[in-house]
Amino acid sequence: MSTYKVLEIKQSVFENNDRQANLLREELKKNKTFLLNLMSSPGSGKTTTVLRTIEALKDEMRIGILEADIDSVVDADIVAQTGTKVIQLHTGGMCHLDADMTRQGLSGMGTDGLDFVILENVGNLVCPAEFDTGASKNAMILSVPEGDDKPLKYPLMFSIVDVLLINKMDAIGIFNFNLEAVKERVKKINPNIKIIPITATTGEGIDRWADWLRTEVKKWNGK
Amino acid sequence: MHELGVVIEVIKTVEDFAKKNGVTKIDTLVLQIGELSSMIPKYVEACYPAAVDGTLLQETKLKIEIMPGNAICKNCNKVFNLIENNNRCPRCGSQDREILSGKEFMIKEIIAC
Ligand SMILES: Nc1nc2c(ncn2[C@@H]2O[C@H](COP(=O)(O)OP(=O)(O)O)[C@@H](O)[C@H]2O)c(=O)[nH]1
Ligand SMILES: [Mg+2]
Ligand SMILES: [Zn+2]
Repeated sequence: MSTYKVLEIKQSVFENNDRQANLLREELKKNKTFLLNLMSSPGSGKTTTVLRTIEALKDEMRIGILEADIDSVVDADIVAQTGTKVIQLHTGGMCHLDADMTRQGLSGMGTDGLDFVILENVGNLVCPAEFDTGASKNAMILSVPEGDDKPLKYPLMFSIVDVLLINKMDAIGIFNFNLEAVKERVKKINPNIKIIPITATTGEGIDRWADWLRTEVKKWNGK
Repeated sequence: MHELGVVIEVIKTVEDFAKKNGVTKIDTLVLQIGELSSMIPKYVEACYPAAVDGTLLQETKLKIEIMPGNAICKNCNKVFNLIENNNRCPRCGSQDREILSGKEFMIKEIIAC
């Protein structure tokens, strides 16, 4: 005969991950490693932007890349060709990364001596928004072909990021994309957000992006 | 699917809790999901078997309690259900309101045996 016992848990589902993420953030702060969580839909230009970012900053800081994007198996290879430290995370088909998986990726790579790590998150605008990875700052890419109504459809993602890159500006003439309307919609959800239009393929606007990163990395690493 | 990742997170948390509390067998897991949460109960139910496969919760039943999406009208103080009333106060028609409940996604309790 068995007796049943009710055990109260009363815990918000994201609490466990939030705790892990805060712990990781503190450790990264101590180790003077700035972690950027880069999110977007598949194909918005994360990998292209990562390559441009490496190019712009590799002479000033030691950079590492965590590749979690599942829509492309070649991402890590392409990045490795630049001579940058890179690790491919195997998310097992998961739609997002949590703080635990991020920690595993970082320790697999070894962050000692790295000033700046970019995490290319899984291409998805829903789940990554709900899971804090432990990153120092969160960035998102919205590309012009995706349309200017995305902030209305995915408000949570736009509300949690510190910076928004609007990529594929070279295509703005082809698509019906109202940059001012996007800025207005995004600022309504997130008044403190920084918005930078870029064209990752040509490098247009990358200087402003690199400036923002330089400042944030210095602030974080206390240099 | 959005729900699967989140449910896997839930299972991890419950396994953790069970370990800490010396629970070796769980009969039922009770979740609370708000009407205004991004989690859809029927999708949570649909991906639950895959999420518990091979875990301590493999044989555990799932029970979901729905929490109402209620708000208080800032104009006339009436408390009302947002979904039934189309986000508008049924007394004065105002859309100026404060959400009281319905956004939660909680692990309420487990029934251990
Ligand atoms: N026209 C245009 N294409 C771009 C730009 N940035 C990226 N792409 C293209 O978009 C596709 C997806 O880019 P990728 O960086 O792999 O996106 P990811 O899936 O987010 O990593 C590739 O074919 C890129 O060449 C851009 O600024 N303009
Ligand atoms: Mg990619
Ligand atoms: Zn009212």
